[in-house]
Amino acid sequence: MTSIEGDGELAVVRIGADRLDAAVTPAFKSALDEQLPAETRQVILDASGVGFVDSTGLGAIVGLMKRLPEGGTLVVASAQQPLRRLLQVTGLDGLFQQFDNVEEARAALGR
Amino acid sequence: MAADDRSTVIDADLEQIRSLASFVRDRAIAAGLSDEALADLELAVVEAANNIVLHGYAGDRGSIRATAGLTENEFMVELSDDAIALPDPVFGDDPLPALTAESGRGLAIIAACVDRVAYRREGGRNYLTLFKAR
Repeated sequence: MTSIEGDGELAVVRIGADRLDAAVTPAFKSALDEQLPAETRQVILDASGVGFVDSTGLGAIVGLMKRLPEGGTLVVASAQQPLRRLLQVTGLDGLFQQFDNVEEARAALGR
Repeated sequence: MAADDRSTVIDADLEQIRSLASFVRDRAIAAGLSDEALADLELAVVEAANNIVLHGYAGDRGSIRATAGLTENEFMVELSDDAIALPDPVFGDDPLPALTAESGRGLAIIAACVDRVAYRREGGRNYLTLFKAR
C-alpha cells in the first residue's frame, strides 16, 4: 500500500506496489488524492519496492509532479533498473532528478 | 485454443497482464536473454498488452494469447487477439509526447525496446510479434 509521509511542504511518497502498472495505477492515484497534504511543494518518490513500471504508472508520476505548485519539485529515490530504463527511454530521466536513497534526496532538498 | 508450454492465454483484463508478463519472462530467461534485454522485452510486451485491452477490446470481453520462444538468434513474442484491427502501419512516426504528458507513450516505448515488430491480421485476428535479440 502506498504510504505518504508529509512534513510540511515535503512529502515522501513510498510506492507500495511491486509493479506500478495499468492495473495498480488507479489505486496509487487514489492514494495520492486522499493522502497528499495540500501544502506539499516537494515530493521524494521512494521507488525502492518497485520492480516494474509501465507507461501508465509513469503517467501517474508525471501527474503527481504536475499537481505541485509552481516551483515545486519531484525527485525519485531508490529507483530499480527497470524504472531507470523507462525514464531513460522516455527522456524523463532529464526531468526527474534521481537519488540512490531517500536520505540523499532529503539532503539534496535541504530537508 | 489450448495453451501449451510455448503459449499462454489470458482474459483481456489489466489484472491478468502481470501473469502474461511472468510467462514471457520465464520463457526469456530460459532462452538466455540478458537482463537488459529481458527488462526491455517485458516492458514492450506489457505496453502492447495494455493497448490490446484498453484500445483493442476497449471494455469488451476477449482474450490475449501469447506465444514466446527463441528463433535463431532472436527471441520472439507473438500476441494475438480478436479485437479491432490495429492501424496500418502500426508504427508511424510515433514521437514521444511532451514530457509533461500523462499518456501516449506506449507505442514509442515498444519501438525503443524491441528490435523489430511484425503485424498481420488474419481471419479476423490480430497477430503482433515482437522480436528481441539476446
